[in-house]
Amino acid sequence: MRLLTLPRLWWTQIRYALTREMAFRANFFAWVMVELSWFVLQLAFVGVVYHHVESVAGWNRNQMIVLVATNQLIQQIFTAFLMPGLTKLPELVRTGKLDFVLLKPVPPQFLVSTAELEIGPLANAGIAALVACMGLHSLGIVPSMASVAAYLLLLVTGLLVHYALLLFLVSLTFWIIQAESVLLGYYSIFQVARLPREAARGWFRIVFTLVLPLLLVANIPATTLIRGIDPGPMSLFLLTSLTAAFLASLFFRRGLLRYQSASS
Amino acid sequence: MISTLRSLPTVFSIGLQRQLAYRWNYLLRALFSAMPLLVSWIFWQSAFRDRGTIGDYTLPGLLTYYAILLIVEAVSSPADDDFQISREIREGMLNPILLRPLPYGLYRFFLFLAGRCAYLTAAIVPVVLCFFLLSRAIPLEWENLDPWRGLPALLGSALLQFSLTLCLSLTSFWFLDISALVFLVYSFEFLAGGHVFPLDLLPATVFAVVRLLPFAYEYWFPTAALCGTLSHPAWVAGLCLQFGWALAFLVLAHLIWRAGLRKYTAAGG
Repeated sequence: MRLLTLPRLWWTQIRYALTREMAFRANFFAWVMVELSWFVLQLAFVGVVYHHVESVAGWNRNQMIVLVATNQLIQQIFTAFLMPGLTKLPELVRTGKLDFVLLKPVPPQFLVSTAELEIGPLANAGIAALVACMGLHSLGIVPSMASVAAYLLLLVTGLLVHYALLLFLVSLTFWIIQAESVLLGYYSIFQVARLPREAARGWFRIVFTLVLPLLLVANIPATTLIRGIDPGPMSLFLLTSLTAAFLASLFFRRGLLRYQSASS
Repeated sequence: MISTLRSLPTVFSIGLQRQLAYRWNYLLRALFSAMPLLVSWIFWQSAFRDRGTIGDYTLPGLLTYYAILLIVEAVSSPADDDFQISREIREGMLNPILLRPLPYGLYRFFLFLAGRCAYLTAAIVPVVLCFFLLSRAIPLEWENLDPWRGLPALLGSALLQFSLTLCLSLTSFWFLDISALVFLVYSFEFLAGGHVFPLDLLPATVFAVVRLLPFAYEYWFPTAALCGTLSHPAWVAGLCLQFGWALAFLVLAHLIWRAGLRKYTAAGG
């Protein structure tokens, strides 16, 4: 398969999904409102906490807003491009429709991951980016071009961690037929990403830094914007996220071996 | 009337069997539900560093609130009743139910009860285990628990959540997809219901407004009643508002149901 085939195929899938999404415009605006209300909820939490304290784990109110907004930005991009396809996997397995994916001459993991698109979250990603900029403005920080470039790279790295976790969770469907609860698991576990890294200690910090680097997902990009580039944590983040994505991919392939077609 | 009452245990039993078929699902849900408590512990531990109290809460008091909230959620929150009802209306599965001499609301209420019982059956071992492990690491305040005030508030919360869910899902008579509406209300429930933080941490004026809304009586009120942090007058006033809201939503659901049935078209044989 040629190198450019997969990006071209993804672009085709995006255009198709975009057309489908635009057929239900009211639904699009409804989902923008839904996601926005969840973001407001997170900001309200920050507001309530900092109504009582000046700093949490060394992060002041505006720094925390940059952290929460960065986390939201990554999550919304993931929700737009990769999450909708992945969350359909349990249904594909249960109904046997995965057969149609396996028959195509494209890696099944790629097809499953990119089959769907939601554009509503992209609007919210824009709002999150705006809130992060406002947080930086309140802090009086103008990040350098190098910091912004590193931030963008780290956003992609954060997406890899989201992808690894959800791919692992939905792959459980090959063992547990009714695996819809995995989505709840994904949202529950990902609450860790909103924590300031300095707040975590002991085994919790080790597990969520080295095994599943959730504590780095929003922390490292936000810190890069606020305090500048620090190559050590950045390299650690790149390494752990790539490892997590690779292991999740292996787990998916292991699960595929268990798949029994539903066709007669 | 008597035949209706006689059929209810059967509805409950069917609901229980249907729900227990997905016990692995419930087990996973129960395990994952401990995660927010862990995250809250880590976050608030940092926030409490160098200070004894935040608002009226000590760290153990606040963590006990989150732990009790897990129990309240397990007992009173509908699982996917909203989407089940929506599917029944949208896909015409309502037809056989309409032919039965059983009020739809009562039928759904017993299925809701069965769902909660199934969840508690599947979740009790992992939840107790999580609580045991967490209580060894996290300081919790169990000595102030007030089950006598908490229990009526817990039942009121279940009734309120069921009636609100019924209202939302019955809008499926008009809308093709209610998931956006459901998730929008979820976010209000989380924010104004005391799911993310105890509502009494809000600034006083905001708290006074939020206390009048139904969402406060879904999570915050039963949790605070169980934690024993409510005065007697506040508990009595809260119960009145809670059951008042539940009754209002039940009446509203009845009106929506009657209007929806006029629009509903049964097709197929």
